[in-house]
Amino acid sequence: MTTFQRHRFTPWLLLAPQLVVIAVFFFWPASQALYQSLYVQDPFGLSATFAGLDNFIQVLVDPEYRRALGVTVVFSASVALLALSVALLLAVLADRVVKGARGYRTLLVWPYAVAPAVAGVLWMFLFDPTLGVLSAMLGTLGVDWNHRLDGGQALALVIIASVWKQVSYNFVFFLAGLQAIPKSLLEAAAIDAAGPWKRFWTITFPLLSPTTFFLLVMNTTYAFFDTFGTIDATTGGGPGGATRTLIYKVFEDGFVGYDLGASAAQSVILMLLVGALTLVQFRYIERKVHY
Amino acid sequence: MATLTLDALNKRYPNGNAALLGIDLSVEDGEMIVIVGPSGCGKSTLLRCLAGLETISEGELKIDGERVNEREPAERDIAMVFQNYALYPHMSVAENMAYALKNRGVPKPAREAKVRETARVLGLEALLDRRPRQLSGGQRQRVAMGRAIVREPKVFLFDEPLSNLDAALRVQMRLEIRRLQKRLGTTAIYVTHDQVEAMTLADRLVVMNAGRVEQIGTPMTLYQRPATRFVAGFIGSPAMNFLPLEQGAAGWRLPGGACLELEGFEGRPSSLGVRPEHLRESDAETALFDVRVELIEPLGADTLAYCRLDGTATPLVVRLDGARQLDEGERLRLDAGIDRLHLFDAEGRRLERRSLDHGRAPLLPLSASL
Ligand SMILES: Nc1ncnc2c1ncn2[C@@H]1O[C@H](COP(=O)(O)OP(=O)(O)OP(=O)(O)O)[C@@H](O)[C@H]1O
Ligand SMILES: [Mg+2]
Repeated sequence: MTTFQRHRFTPWLLLAPQLVVIAVFFFWPASQALYQSLYVQDPFGLSATFAGLDNFIQVLVDPEYRRALGVTVVFSASVALLALSVALLLAVLADRVVKGARGYRTLLVWPYAVAPAVAGVLWMFLFDPTLGVLSAMLGTLGVDWNHRLDGGQALALVIIASVWKQVSYNFVFFLAGLQAIPKSLLEAAAIDAAGPWKRFWTITFPLLSPTTFFLLVMNTTYAFFDTFGTIDATTGGGPGGATRTLIYKVFEDGFVGYDLGASAAQSVILMLLVGALTLVQFRYIERKVHY
Repeated sequence: MATLTLDALNKRYPNGNAALLGIDLSVEDGEMIVIVGPSGCGKSTLLRCLAGLETISEGELKIDGERVNEREPAERDIAMVFQNYALYPHMSVAENMAYALKNRGVPKPAREAKVRETARVLGLEALLDRRPRQLSGGQRQRVAMGRAIVREPKVFLFDEPLSNLDAALRVQMRLEIRRLQKRLGTTAIYVTHDQVEAMTLADRLVVMNAGRVEQIGTPMTLYQRPATRFVAGFIGSPAMNFLPLEQGAAGWRLPGGACLELEGFEGRPSSLGVRPEHLRESDAETALFDVRVELIEPLGADTLAYCRLDGTATPLVVRLDGARQLDEGERLRLDAGIDRLHLFDAEGRRLERRSLDHGRAPLLPLSASL
């Protein structure tokens, strides 16, 4: 006890760099957003008038905003679910590979190093209605692919691009999680008459649940915030707002429409939304997690 | 209830490592076989081949006369207790025990009844709702046993199941395992490092060395008439003393100069073995060994004296009565009964006395002549 008391300030000193970073890059912008959300700015940013909750009301009654909310829900749920399941599948397969496992794993991790915008452009070219390899292949299968016109296809495209980017991250964690499961447990299950499928669902999957839960939270946050670059490079929110998620709308309204008040209000709402979602995940899903 | 037959079983790991080299063993119904051997000799590999966790490279494995080489672990009806217990951490004790039954489609009421009955036998009733990590090491061990027993398998496999327990608990569980196995009458194969476990549990003991079986027999047979020098050195604690023999003019010379007249043995002896507990102090002129005590280990009931043959560097360990006061540096004269001496040839094979049936030993220790 005494040792700890003598070093009252050391812990703070050690935490200081981290705290400074959080303050500068999170709390300060967040407080700025909160401040701006309560004001209406003139188009040149020279003066601002206090508007109370007007910005929030304006945003919430806007049908475009509700549409963006709908798009976000579909987009985020699909991205999180697909990124998790594809990564889990790949990790399970990679876990079984004996020969050349290292090379295989390294290849699977690479996409994570690709910048979101580059990933977006890559997929845009692959699916380009006139030049794209994949769209041509779809064409031979009778699918008329044009994500510049078809909203559903555009949404599918940004989901694919975002998932592709996130799978590597999930893969690394799932693989580490799988390798942490003692082999003897699976052997015991094999002797206890459980086939491979049953073994996976009754032993492996439950034991992976801490990893899965952590990744679920991370992927939801990713889908909400970090997919901006991918969307911007791939579809630019179009066609007709079919891929305009909440974060994209924040950008559009703020930096294209110069409605800083509305944009700030949206940021605040988005923050609250993700905060609430994370809270729900921790309260309800974490209970099912076996540590 | 089953017999088990291993016919020239070979196991090569994919990296080319040959872990088992022609294992032959036939296990009777209800028999308890204990396998001992130095680390890395292939004991776990053998169990894993029996369980179906490793493929058998060559040879045949039969359960109840039926070839099972190609069967999945689940289809062999074998239960295994792992050294680290391998309890499912996310299931309660009851769920752990019921898991195999559930997978086999035993209906819920029957399942629960069986689990409760097994828990009662093992004294686990109060723990049924706990998770493995909420149990002590001994309790976990018991649950692992319960998980094996509840299935009523044809064969139990134990891979050093008690090695993670403290000494007192080990003794208790050892007795319990023996009692349970006898009561259930289930064929069992038990791997251990522990001498006492091996001697007390086994109906028959198998000593393995470098992927081969050295000897199979009852614990007393292996102790009294080890077939090889390896078995002689492995069974018994502290290990048997081995002394090199050289042919001299007056018979076979031991280090230190004592001579033995060895007759009636087939083959050419190269070393003499004698167990520490079979050496006795003696005043006789004919005593075999003159030794100098170097180190004393009082164990209470007994005292171990680490000695060297007088005038040589050849070590000799003696187990003496705990009441005997010894000093380091003291000289002792030691002798052993003739039928307590073991002879081995240069290949380490035991040399039997041809005239054993006559009742009179032709082996006569001669006077120590320097
Ligand atoms: N998966 C494997 N691949 C290649 N070689 C292996 C493998 N598993 C074990 N071996 C080798 O096979 C031999 C026998 O190993 P095994 O685990 O059966 O020994 P053991 O008798 O159980 O030893 P211990 O008493 O230390 O448990 C050893 O030389 C070991 O290095
Ligand atoms: Mg082993």
